[in-house]
Amino acid sequence: MTKEPIYNIDIMAEKIETIKKTAIELKNLSGDIQAVDRNVVRILASVKMLEINISDVATIKKRVKFN
Amino acid sequence: MNINSYWNPILETLPRENLEKLQLKKFQRIFRWAYENSKYHHKLYNNVGIEPGDIKKFEDIRDVPKIEKSVMRVVQKKDPFPYGDMLCVPPDQVTEFHQTSGTTGQAVYQPDTWQDWEWWAESWAYVLYAQGYRAGQRVFFPFGYNVFIAFWAAHYGAEKLGCEVVPGGVLDTEARILKMKELGVEAFMATPTYVLAMADTAKNKLGLNLRKKLHVKRITVAGEPGGSIPATKKRMEDAWGAKVYDQIGATEIGAWSYECLYQSGLHVNEALFLVEIEDPTTGKLITEPGRKGVMVITALDRIAQPCIRFDSKDLVQWSPDKCDCGRTFRSIKGGVLGRIDDITKVKGVLLAPTAIEEVVRGIPDLSDEYEVLVTKKGETDDITLRVELIHSLNGSIEQIKAKLIQELRLKTNLGYNIEFHEYGTLPRYNNVKARRFKDLRHQEQ
Repeated sequence: MTKEPIYNIDIMAEKIETIKKTAIELKNLSGDIQAVDRNVVRILASVKMLEINISDVATIKKRVKFN
Repeated sequence: MNINSYWNPILETLPRENLEKLQLKKFQRIFRWAYENSKYHHKLYNNVGIEPGDIKKFEDIRDVPKIEKSVMRVVQKKDPFPYGDMLCVPPDQVTEFHQTSGTTGQAVYQPDTWQDWEWWAESWAYVLYAQGYRAGQRVFFPFGYNVFIAFWAAHYGAEKLGCEVVPGGVLDTEARILKMKELGVEAFMATPTYVLAMADTAKNKLGLNLRKKLHVKRITVAGEPGGSIPATKKRMEDAWGAKVYDQIGATEIGAWSYECLYQSGLHVNEALFLVEIEDPTTGKLITEPGRKGVMVITALDRIAQPCIRFDSKDLVQWSPDKCDCGRTFRSIKGGVLGRIDDITKVKGVLLAPTAIEEVVRGIPDLSDEYEVLVTKKGETDDITLRVELIHSLNGSIEQIKAKLIQELRLKTNLGYNIEFHEYGTLPRYNNVKARRFKDLRHQEQ
């Protein structure tokens, strides 16, 4: 029998938060270098998609079993 | 179905109870965002005495005022140019401009931040993954990349999946078909009208049998109702030898609905959108399947110009069928069944133009094109249906006419004047939304 995957979304959400914090810290260190700032904007947009896909659900449910 | 059937198995199979909790949480967030960042929204909600803290349960959402496209047109005449004060971000954070097609009036402008644009691609990723698109597939985009949203976001959604994207931009129809043949593309996306126009060009100008000479396996259609009209879908699938999947979206909303591989209705992406269906007369919420109503929709994550309880004027109905794909997202049946402002009374009977298309496209002796003209003779409404005959008829004109009249009477409960035109003489609508229904009654008075 195939084992049903279990997603530990709270840990995934923590990792996403870490990426977000790191990206913001990087921007704060950039000294207004546009090559850093604008790429961080793009990173944060991708991070937002991870939040939509994972972190938002984490507040509803901690562990999700695949149906 | 297994985990690989979903772009995001967590959201797409989330139990309904949790899905609704998620929608409420996200509605509260986007409502607060708009209230705090847009002068227009702040005033709109203050005028009815609603603040972010007032939305505590799902039912409270129903008290939030709706927004219509006509209002957006007025707001966009104000500062900041060209979006007006619905804008929720400083203008320098807008990285994308698009506009509606203007089919229903003055075009509405749509600003998006980079995050919004990423979100657009994300919403299309759900669509395409559900329809069998995967990394490594070569996908062709035969549309004019310009101010209209069209398949722009689908392009980036396909990229996000890892597809190899081929932009067919300014090539003409023949060149597009030949490029698709040369590259052996597996899939493409277009309006139903253009899918049929390409097939017509391949057959009649290039002498190309698409089923044998190309390798298209799937086509995603959007922008018109044809993908959910069985006779039109069959024509497209027969011509290309490919599966056709429908998708519904709008510039000011996003890519909110799609068919999956099982094709039992169109799923609403309820992780990204909240759809309410309202009774057109009473405005009461319709929750049961099979009752047509007007769709009011919220894009739960779009920030530059939020779409909160947008009164789409689209008529839809919940599907009674449970899809076997395992998604917990509800489905609508038959796609967009018409627009509340399109459904018109002719001779006292409510007429939806999609019903006429279903009849015309179901008769093999007729070409893909048709035109409907409603006029007034004295006090009486008069409907003329113009159709084109294909060159190789199976029946006589009289037989075709009799079949048309009978089928139209059955589907629409109305009588028509039938005009037969030579093949190729009715207007073609390549790359623009087709306008085949023309109500001329007011022009004549």
